[in-house]
Amino acid sequence: MRETARAALPSVASVITSLVVCFLAVAVLRGGLEVALDAFLAMTWGAFGDFPRFFDGGTSAAVLRPLGESATKAAILTLTGLSVAVAFRVGLFNIGAQGQLIVGALAAAVVGAGVELPTALHVALCLLAAAAGGALYALGPALLKRYRGVHEVISTIMLNWVALSLVENWLVTGPLRATTTGDNSIAGTAQIHASAELPRLLGDVSRLNAGILLAIAAAVALWLWLTRFVGGFQWRAVGANPEAARASGVNVGRAFISAMLVSGALAGLAGAVLILGTEQRYPATIGAPYGFDGIAMALIGNGHPLGVLASALLFGGLRAGGTRMQLFGVHKSFPELIQGLALLLVAARLMWMKVSDRLLKPKGGP
Amino acid sequence: MRRALLLMLLVAGGCKKSSDAKDAAPKPALTVGLVTDIGGRGDQSFNDSALRGLEVWAASASFKGGRYEAMAPATREAMIPAALKARVTPVSLKPLVVQSKVQEDYQPNLQLVVDQGADLIVGVGFALENAVEAVAKQNAGAKFLLIDSPILDAKGAPQTLPNVRTVVFREQEGSFLAGALAGLVAKQKVGFVGGMEIPLIKKFEAGFRAGVKTTNPGAQVLVQYTGTFDNVQHGKQVATDLVAKGCEVVFHAAGSDGTGVIQAVKEARAAGKPVFAIGVDSDQSHLAPEAVLTSMVKRVDLAVWQAIKDLEGKAFSAGDSVMGLKEGGVTLAEVTLDFPGKAEALAKVKALETAIISGAVVVPSNEKDLEGFVAPAN
Repeated sequence: MRETARAALPSVASVITSLVVCFLAVAVLRGGLEVALDAFLAMTWGAFGDFPRFFDGGTSAAVLRPLGESATKAAILTLTGLSVAVAFRVGLFNIGAQGQLIVGALAAAVVGAGVELPTALHVALCLLAAAAGGALYALGPALLKRYRGVHEVISTIMLNWVALSLVENWLVTGPLRATTTGDNSIAGTAQIHASAELPRLLGDVSRLNAGILLAIAAAVALWLWLTRFVGGFQWRAVGANPEAARASGVNVGRAFISAMLVSGALAGLAGAVLILGTEQRYPATIGAPYGFDGIAMALIGNGHPLGVLASALLFGGLRAGGTRMQLFGVHKSFPELIQGLALLLVAARLMWMKVSDRLLKPKGGP
Repeated sequence: MRRALLLMLLVAGGCKKSSDAKDAAPKPALTVGLVTDIGGRGDQSFNDSALRGLEVWAASASFKGGRYEAMAPATREAMIPAALKARVTPVSLKPLVVQSKVQEDYQPNLQLVVDQGADLIVGVGFALENAVEAVAKQNAGAKFLLIDSPILDAKGAPQTLPNVRTVVFREQEGSFLAGALAGLVAKQKVGFVGGMEIPLIKKFEAGFRAGVKTTNPGAQVLVQYTGTFDNVQHGKQVATDLVAKGCEVVFHAAGSDGTGVIQAVKEARAAGKPVFAIGVDSDQSHLAPEAVLTSMVKRVDLAVWQAIKDLEGKAFSAGDSVMGLKEGGVTLAEVTLDFPGKAEALAKVKALETAIISGAVVVPSNEKDLEGFVAPAN
């Protein structure tokens, strides 16, 4: 228990510090604590349900809608966060989650629009296609690393640009663009069939969909794999010290490749959740760098699958709710600022370790 | 530390009460919401034009440091073109602008503005089409204005909703005049730089080609698409290429890429080449006064203001509308540069404008119509 607290403290303390600093920043820049409080309350209600409005005689939608938006973002952040975290565990730094997400999203959009199947099968096939797409896109860097020693940071980051140019600058605006009647423009690919949409858990009231369940399941599964299975243990051993692992008979190359495949598949699934959950087509551009946010989620979550889930739930909420701060004159990118600052503080792990040593020192111990 | 936090909460709590008291102050009669696309505030063209219609023309307010300040009447007047000064009157309203960070935020942002009790919600850009459709269906009591696209069903066919007004522009008509002027200024070659190769931008291209064909049938039109709307460098590259191939006038419909186009033309002029640029959406002459011949202005601001004015006068109607030269939806910005034969050239363009408004000339809006286009005698 104490170990868990010690591991989680840097993240929790960083997030809280970041929130307080940003609160004060709004207060200073936007004319007082009052505005800052209004803005932060608006963000909270926008993230976790507008309870004041609900109790003021509003409909349940006041609570369920914001929850749906938060869950959608949290699901994507969880999956990209897990993608980065799983690569971390074998000692690889997969910066290519964005590219893998783009490829996965496109695969989901194409299968969703191009194939006709019964609902359950269709959704499963789209998810499978997205996971396969993301995994295949991560396979290249994994093989290069394994057989040629090419550093995965270089290869994955370059492949991000390849994916972006290939998908958004050519396929989506060219051969795969939806057709319309007359001179009207549609942004992106053709709309997916209704059977390919991730089921909405609450009907039309909210966009809350099965994506969040998928994300939670993925986090739990990954946690079990890493802690309860031999394969997962081998991955961790490779991450801790590849030479020692090799000496003890672990096939390090295979661990690299299989972990990268899982990493790519998770990022691909994140893309699928975006397309099948809310967008229903590959839009002209995926504006958000969710793949890079995944790095933040992995670091703030301390590389632990459940930590990633927790941090994604929080920041998914803050980012969905943060839009409302605009009503109080706060810039649209403010939630990202909170996240960035928290990340910066987490990086100062040594500082927090000192703090935690002092706070959690066993009584009577040295 | 704990004491400091407690103190802060107390102070904040105290402040909260005073804000409740402030809510009792009289409110403007109307609240008008606006949701931008990803481009957002400060794009120098499309979103800014819509924001101008709402904030300056209607609300007479300027957005500074996160809040609205009343704008001096003279400042407001200066931001309205001469031809519209008498018509565009202020409306007492509270603007409520929400910018979109990412694609999937369009729908919650629109819903947020609806929940704030907005009487009219403006969705800026065809990218918001799906979101406006979904939110309008769920909030039958709210009124919407969608810019640049009709509501489309899943198959891409237009449909109408009882609480949504949509405005599209006949960009081809303004582009036709730009082409006509380019044909008169240039001798042999003119260039067109498009952003994404989508039907909307094809309208600009078709109109421009038809205009060039009308005034200078022998001229060659070189066309390039950048594939993006947010890559200034790419726009510059493409335009430099066109200038090197001998284009004397380059027209762009490429969003932010276009500022690169204008930059390239400006540099070519500085190096001694006689070449002009034609801007798009807003009057872009301030970007390079010596190089920008004119701009094909799209009056998104007018469309937004008109919807607000109709709402104030209880005359807001849903349905699709189209704004071309006749309705003042597109127009050429004033030509302030001098070139040989300017007076005759402008007179010819004016005559063509009259012909389009009267319906004597129908400007093609796509490649197919362009093939069958017969240039009017002039």
